[in-house]
Amino acid sequence: MTDVARGSTPQVDKPVRAEARGQVPGDSSMWFFVIGDLLIFGGYFVGYMYYRGRNHELFLAGQAQLNLDIGTVNTIVLLTSSLFVALGTAAARVGNRAESLRRFWMALAFGAAFPILKLFEWIPEISRGLTPGKDLFFMYYYVMTGLHLCHVALGLVVICFIIRNVKESVAPKISFVETGATYWHMVDVLWLVLFALLYLMR
Amino acid sequence: MSGGETSWRTSRKLDQWIAFWSVPFFFTLFGLVFVPLSWMMPPRSPQNSTPHIVDFMQSHNLLIACVILTLAYGLAPVSNACYLIQVKRMSVSPAFRYSMMIGAVTGAIVGMLFPMFCFGLGAFRPGYSSAVLTMLYDFGYLAFIGSLGCFCVMWMAFGLAIILDENRILPKWLGYYTVWQYVTELMAAPVWIAKSGPFAWNGLMTFWFAMILYVSWQFLVYICIYRAIKNQLEAELDNAWADLRPTVAPAKSSA
Amino acid sequence: MTALIRNPLTIVWALLTTVTIASSLIALDGGASHHINTTVTTAVLLIAAVKTFLVIWHFMEVRRAPLWLKATTSGWVLALFALLLTFYFASL
Repeated sequence: MTDVARGSTPQVDKPVRAEARGQVPGDSSMWFFVIGDLLIFGGYFVGYMYYRGRNHELFLAGQAQLNLDIGTVNTIVLLTSSLFVALGTAAARVGNRAESLRRFWMALAFGAAFPILKLFEWIPEISRGLTPGKDLFFMYYYVMTGLHLCHVALGLVVICFIIRNVKESVAPKISFVETGATYWHMVDVLWLVLFALLYLMR
Repeated sequence: MSGGETSWRTSRKLDQWIAFWSVPFFFTLFGLVFVPLSWMMPPRSPQNSTPHIVDFMQSHNLLIACVILTLAYGLAPVSNACYLIQVKRMSVSPAFRYSMMIGAVTGAIVGMLFPMFCFGLGAFRPGYSSAVLTMLYDFGYLAFIGSLGCFCVMWMAFGLAIILDENRILPKWLGYYTVWQYVTELMAAPVWIAKSGPFAWNGLMTFWFAMILYVSWQFLVYICIYRAIKNQLEAELDNAWADLRPTVAPAKSSA
Repeated sequence: MTALIRNPLTIVWALLTTVTIASSLIALDGGASHHINTTVTTAVLLIAAVKTFLVIWHFMEVRRAPLWLKATTSGWVLALFALLLTFYFASL
């Protein structure tokens, strides 16, 4: 575990040549969080697979009721948002604030589409009686995607702070941008696994 | 040792140290009460049969556990006070520590006091019908495991305070670890619905995973608080204004 | 604009999007969703593993990170999907 004290250095950002770095992008404590979150969710994923193994028919029947179209679109939406975050970070690094800002606004727009699409998915499902209490599959479905949605919401807030940072300061804190970007990509990674486990696998 | 204390008895941080050492005492006691004494933990199944529940609610061991619980419950605020003293040193808004304080208080009432009453009623007052005892059993466990709101606020406030703190009183990674406690509180919500399986109050997702995270967090926060107290400069203590030390350095060595 | 399109990140994104659509089609081709299908499951899980690796490697810039981070994150992808597939097949 890297020493966290180094991660929160005062923000005097030398324009580091991207190739020369041997250190982690952004705050090292955020990487601690990312790795930990990946492990925690990893535990949840394996738990899901274990319980699914004892209830194949139930889970398959539940999956048949999910909206694969919205699931797929949402996956692409998050991937696109991640792309713009990565592009925005690159632009911020070379000092192109205007371009960086544009890209982060795009990232925010795509990211915000995710919860909206989720609502279009959940509301019809709940009206059809597919509630968390229905059976184990739907409990897993709502709990895991709900927990993920909380992560998304937090990520959107982080992106807003990044936008504010890039917009309002002459020398944006690159470390902060990178830290937020790392978090957002993690949210994307988690969804990629969830999508396969809940929507795709048979 | 910074601060120049000569003996623990004259230490200006004695109050903090007493509060600090009460924590393992408190948790060990609770560990004994909940596990080998009453087998309340790991939680019994929500689907236990009525005779099973009645037996448990009126068992001798539960009685002893409740006695200890009633007497020792008051130590909960002391451990929270220990944390809050350090949070006060952080550069973040006081709103965080007040949220933490009230969250901890309300959380302890619902999460510890209510179960104490429920199980206590079963243990101390014989003669209730089995239907009533079953309700108390459900009530007690749901209050213990399913009471999330207050603890959510407490964990979030504590975690955010650590992450945003510029004085670096506690390490940032601990802040993120604390945010995970908040996540496990959210994961506990399904216990209200599921009566069996991984989402019941004794389930893999809601109880066991949460316990692994919580116990490890408790150890880690403990070590970090120890360091924070130790490294705190005496001049910055809350009670620095009242000079309680003798004006002459003690000539005899402490016993 | 062309610079954006030819940016390596965009190329990775195009790949990710393509395989996402492909895996959805695979799942649909799995036919009626009421049946266990080991081929579909293995395919979509492996695709998911590749996708997560690409996002971690390129978007999260782990490819330029110190060795310990490369090892930890790659290890996570490997271990997770190995466990998932193991539990899946063990339950059949």
